Amino acid sequence: MRGVRVTINFITPEGDKKTIIANKGESIMDISHTHDDIELECACEGSLACSTCHVIVDPEYYKKLEEPTDEENDMLDLAFGLTETSRLGCQIVMEKDLDGITVTLPSATRNVQLKGSKLS
Amino acid sequence: MEENEPNAKIPYQRLPEWLKTKVPVGANYARIKSDLRGLNLHTVCEEARCPNIGDCWGGGEHKTATATIMLMGNECTRGCRFCSVKTNRTPKPLDSNEPENVAVAISKWGLDYVVLTSVDRDDIPDGGSEHFAKTIRLLKKKAPHILVECLTGDFRGDLDCVARVANSGLDVYAHNIETVESLTPYVRDHRATFRQSLKVLEHVKKIKPSLITKSSIMLGVGETDQEVMDAMKELRKIEVECVTLGQYMRPTKRHMKVYEYVTPEKFEYWKKVGDDLGFLYTASGPLVRSSYKAGEFFISSVLRKRQQELGVGSGISEIRE
Repeated sequence: MRGVRVTINFITPEGDKKTIIANKGESIMDISHTHDDIELECACEGSLACSTCHVIVDPEYYKKLEEPTDEENDMLDLAFGLTETSRLGCQIVMEKDLDGITVTLPSATRNVQLKGSKLS
Repeated sequence: MEENEPNAKIPYQRLPEWLKTKVPVGANYARIKSDLRGLNLHTVCEEARCPNIGDCWGGGEHKTATATIMLMGNECTRGCRFCSVKTNRTPKPLDSNEPENVAVAISKWGLDYVVLTSVDRDDIPDGGSEHFAKTIRLLKKKAPHILVECLTGDFRGDLDCVARVANSGLDVYAHNIETVESLTPYVRDHRATFRQSLKVLEHVKKIKPSLITKSSIMLGVGETDQEVMDAMKELRKIEVECVTLGQYMRPTKRHMKVYEYVTPEKFEYWKKVGDDLGFLYTASGPLVRSSYKAGEFFISSVLRKRQQELGVGSGISEIRE
């Protein structure tokens, strides 16, 4: 789908920055799924039933986003590593004014390795 | 792989040889598929992309095909990280013809063991428990000789709903704990909890002690051996008789990564653990799933034996309609 092109930067949990050219109208969830190197789960496929697509938005751009709905807030409250500028990736839709946005994929989110050593 | 390093990536795990399955083909497979679509029925086999679909629908060595029908539509109100069934906060309303259609379809297939499951329907006041129970009653009425296993959700811990299904005439009541206690908040939908799931299984036993109860655990999502052992012990404490252990397989890229591919040998170990802990039946293997047919074969022989001992038929006294 060609349309207005916008730039989005992803910071991976390992700290790597990846810059993607996306289309206006795509959500962060959509974008991550057409790019193999961006790993963002979306267990409920954008139906606001989970918090697995939790991302941390850079403060400058966070202000530009529309307020989250109550449903989104309810799910965000369950996200691990919640911050002041957290949002669900399925709810952020790219527009021209979000060109250049940077979102960080949380590292502590559901990383089971943090639990400790694996016995075997 | 580094342990305890906060930013270490889970390395990509290649699919081991023992997990590769054949593409499903064949007359039985095609027939079941067309019957299902004709009646607007869904199976968890298709919706959750089970790797055994060709094997089970094809009929296997016993030449008995089976499918696990998924009631109440193909949209679930929950979003668990391991499951590819579609999620929707407001799924389509229940099809009131479904109980009848399911009973007709199953009696046509000439199965002697069937598994019914469902999506979670947190949008419906009784969680769909009456719809589920009605399906079982109708099926038992049409085909009393068929053994029926039901895999239910937790009905948000509403034990009246659990009782409704437990009292409908089924033979085996299954509800999955899915994973160990510590990983439950990470792996399952936020509405599910380990303890709530145990309560469901415990309640079934309490109100209907003769009903066989069953649960399942996925391995390979980051659990430790001790945690698996503890989970199995918790199931035994509440007298769950059957347990299945299988490998978590990532259904799509939108779902959580596999932490580890557990070896067939390790699954054999868990089978011995299950036997030693006193489960009536432990099915354990990479491709084993809650309703994997190997368990059915054994359970049906156990149930028939029990019926012979008691001198009764299967569930006929439970029919109310």
